[in-house]
Amino acid sequence: MSTVVGTSLTQRFGSELALDAVDVAIDAGEHLAVLGDNGAGKTTLLRILATAARPTSGSLEIFGVDAVIERRRLRARIGFVAHAPGLYPALSARENLQFFATLQGVDSARVAEVLDLVGLAELAGRPAAKLSRGAQQRLAIGRAVLHDPKLLVLDEPDASLDSGGPDLLARVMRGRTAVIATHDHALANRLCQRILELRRGRVVGVPTRLRVVH
Amino acid sequence: MRTITVALAVARKDLRSEWRTRELVPALAQFVVLALVIANFGFQFDSRNAPAIAPGVLWMALVFAGLVAFGRAFAAEREQASLEAMLLTPASPAAIFAGKALAAALLLVLCEAVLLPALALFFTVPLSFDVVFAVLLATVGMAVLGCLFAAMVARVRARELLLPLLTLPLWIPFVVVGGQAVQAAMGGSGGGSGTGQTTGLLLDLDILFVVLTSLTARFVLDD
Repeated sequence: MSTVVGTSLTQRFGSELALDAVDVAIDAGEHLAVLGDNGAGKTTLLRILATAARPTSGSLEIFGVDAVIERRRLRARIGFVAHAPGLYPALSARENLQFFATLQGVDSARVAEVLDLVGLAELAGRPAAKLSRGAQQRLAIGRAVLHDPKLLVLDEPDASLDSGGPDLLARVMRGRTAVIATHDHALANRLCQRILELRRGRVVGVPTRLRVVH
Repeated sequence: MRTITVALAVARKDLRSEWRTRELVPALAQFVVLALVIANFGFQFDSRNAPAIAPGVLWMALVFAGLVAFGRAFAAEREQASLEAMLLTPASPAAIFAGKALAAALLLVLCEAVLLPALALFFTVPLSFDVVFAVLLATVGMAVLGCLFAAMVARVRARELLLPLLTLPLWIPFVVVGGQAVQAAMGGSGGGSGTGQTTGLLLDLDILFVVLTSLTARFVLDD
């Protein structure tokens, strides 16, 4: 059964066509890589899938719910790592997660688990502004999985991660349906079962199946 | 219950950030004191006309300090791309808005804690409970309106220009009624209205705008 079914997803910004009638379907537990050059429409597609943006036209169902109209119903089940980490610089890593745990309605005990998961337990008391870019990205990934979402949407999460990044991504994607936008074909091959390539807002060819989901 | 928990968490987060960075309150406090110093030199006042002039100076300083405080409430969130992260949680946008407005109002109250004694000092006017109460009541209504428009214009490039254009017309009732309340409390005519009548009107305005903004906040935030 498909977790995500998007049909003819189109996004216009004024006269600019950022996404042009893209169809996407992702099975439960499947990991899909979205590849493409800068400006191909990867971020636009991921923002729509994460319910952060509404498409200009087209339909999107996530977990059988209309994700265009009933976006708020889905938010407890989706985790999103956006292009910018979106952290509070004056708050420590732990305080950032504790704040979002309150908003998610998650027990604060989960914060320590997540800090461990993303490898930030030792830096938990450091203000986010004083963390390296890679550590900030780890924190943003931690925030996205704080509420144990069933669908994880990751927009170029590897951009500033260190050599342990791919292992971290594999850990957080395990057991979840995931969509990851990246420029790194090797990472896509390692983490994902399928690749969807975008060029100028359109899908290029047929999404490539790399391996079967188990 | 969950709405209150979320609102308090958002307000606590904003106040904690301000406490650590000290970006806004010291600058606003300096601004209001400078405004009073300039007014002190600019107006020819004595003990007879001070109660008529001081409320005007008070509300001018408050209005401009408020515009800065409420403008920053959402601009900072947009700049660090954290507003979207908050809105992508299941938390109600109205609760998030209430928390932001509460924090911005408390920061303005901190400025008022500097402004009111300084006003009493510079203009030698009495600082009574009625004055403080009227200013606090007006702060509530001004905060919810200011934050609503700040949220609305936060993504616009010309937000510094748009925020006063949208907010000031709707703040006029608070300035008029609050000015009368403060004037009456300071021993002026207060436009013929008693302190009780004007504070009652301020309370009515607060209720009206708190209800209206909480109903519209979700449409503004959940774009």
